[in-house]
Amino acid sequence: MKPKTLLGAATAVALALPAYADGTLNLYTWSDSISPELIEKFEAQTGITVNTDGFNSNEDALTKLQAGSSGYDIVTPSQHFVKIMIDEGLLEDIGAKDLAAYAQVDDKWKGQWWDPENAYSIPLAYGTAGFAVNRDVYEGPVDSWAVYFTPPADLKGKVASLSYPDEVVGAAQLFLGVPFCSEDKAEMKKVYDLLMAQKPDVAAYSSDNIENRLGTAEVGAHFWWDGNVLKTRNDGANIVYAEPKEGLVGWLDSFVVPKGAANVEGAKQFIDFMSEEENATIQYNYYAHSSPVKLDLTKAKYTPENAPELFPTVPVEFSKACSPAAQDLVTKVWTDLLK
Amino acid sequence: MSGFRVWGLVPAWVLMLATLMVPLLIVAAVSVAERGAYGGFAWDFNPLSYREILFSEDWDGNLAFDAKYLAIIGRTLLLAGATTLICMALSLPVAYVIATRPPKTKALLIYLVTLPFWVSMIVRVYAWLIILGNEGFVGRFWQWIGGEGTLLFTPGAMLVGMVYSYIPLMVLPVFAAIEKLDPALLEAGADLYASRWTTARRVILPLTWPGLAAGAVLVFVPALGTVLEPMLLGGGKQMTMGTLIQTQFGGARNWPFGAAVALVLMAMVVLVLMVNARRAMRREART
Repeated sequence: MKPKTLLGAATAVALALPAYADGTLNLYTWSDSISPELIEKFEAQTGITVNTDGFNSNEDALTKLQAGSSGYDIVTPSQHFVKIMIDEGLLEDIGAKDLAAYAQVDDKWKGQWWDPENAYSIPLAYGTAGFAVNRDVYEGPVDSWAVYFTPPADLKGKVASLSYPDEVVGAAQLFLGVPFCSEDKAEMKKVYDLLMAQKPDVAAYSSDNIENRLGTAEVGAHFWWDGNVLKTRNDGANIVYAEPKEGLVGWLDSFVVPKGAANVEGAKQFIDFMSEEENATIQYNYYAHSSPVKLDLTKAKYTPENAPELFPTVPVEFSKACSPAAQDLVTKVWTDLLK
Repeated sequence: MSGFRVWGLVPAWVLMLATLMVPLLIVAAVSVAERGAYGGFAWDFNPLSYREILFSEDWDGNLAFDAKYLAIIGRTLLLAGATTLICMALSLPVAYVIATRPPKTKALLIYLVTLPFWVSMIVRVYAWLIILGNEGFVGRFWQWIGGEGTLLFTPGAMLVGMVYSYIPLMVLPVFAAIEKLDPALLEAGADLYASRWTTARRVILPLTWPGLAAGAVLVFVPALGTVLEPMLLGGGKQMTMGTLIQTQFGGARNWPFGAAVALVLMAMVVLVLMVNARRAMRREART
């Protein structure tokens, strides 16, 4: 009898150890992107403690994973960075296709080029990058990138850009008709010339504090994301999201699990939880970006009538994972611009 | 030498090796490694990053001398130098006033000087964003006196932020130096009919010089690597070495080049420290 008890005790200890490791889940997501209400609900439901850290650019997330042992169980990069992370072997194969969450995903987001086998990622939110104007500063039409890149008199010196080239260069390419990830120097020189000509009218290249800067009319036009414009407009700012005829830059963020994550099971559990219809709706209402999973439409807050930002009528082109040669040209444009 | 004098220093050496030398060697190794396609690096020897600081491909694909990184280095030096000089000029009177107060007031004033360090740097820089902004009181005052444009996102705003951030590092050593001044020397100066200005120039300044020199190093070195102020207050319109390094590890995904620039920055810091150490040694030899 005694050896058995001992074995039982040893098993109990052995089981208790991983249970302890399973007790926490570390998220690395876009800043303020996950509904705090849902995190509390998940903690109450599962007893898992959730820690969150935020990033402000895909590059930051990639750099952290490349530096190794990030300590995170879930990261939420955009589509082109999901592709890069998969190619670089930075992600855990979570068999996304077999998760309950996968059944909730809209068919149009399945089997995409960044994760054709649906092995690594479950989409969380999608939207566009464009620009918004403050109507107290500028009243003219906002149907073209020309307003942003070659500002009219009211916006001179009152345009603000982002501190990273990723989406900004993409927008310039849409405006000029240059394909994304172009490796053609002559074409990229055109992008550089456009941004250089715009620079005297740019007040700041900054991805921080945009809401404040645009809402208080410190600047009149700002490069920004659809849902953030929506939220700030709902808070009473007199701003409008442009629908440039040349198109908007599209993005889709997904849940992925870094290779070697301590709590893969907890991560899967969280992804499934976030994709349940009721929770996805709460998340949609909180985050104000379009949802790639099924929603409870009776409870969804945003419709084409009250949130035109989320339902653009102009073409949307998704950022791609550029080759190193193309990325070097993007960097050259940016470094020469800010040298 | 006694055993303790050798072995007593072991913890310090271990700490230095583990936290300074080893990481530095890793950075040096990365700077001559092969860059990865999407960031990261591979352990293949490739010193091209250093060439890139001076020569890069132009838009026609020719390798040509390109002064853009030199301009960034020059701008960083200029900015750090200006910050140091302004901090020196401002901290002399401040430290003098503090040093000549009664002990209780003195303690309070020193406490107030160090108080900002209790708050995160990023919060303090954000505060300047609000103060200098169009809705902030300095911004409003600027408009009220009929000032042109906005104060934010200018080199001036950047400089204000940097001086504000680093000035406590100058005030403290200067205060310590002024406090050690022998009042008898000032009285002697007065007895010899020196004017206040002459006393300041020929007695106070030389005697507080060690404090100023120490403060200059304390301010100049971190100012070289500053990132927050150029990004937030300067509006990120012109790169400094700090923001350049950040870009290389982030958006540009060129770690070896980022490491090379970081080493150049490090070399500049070491140079400053060495010059300072030599001067200190010469001073010591004289006394």
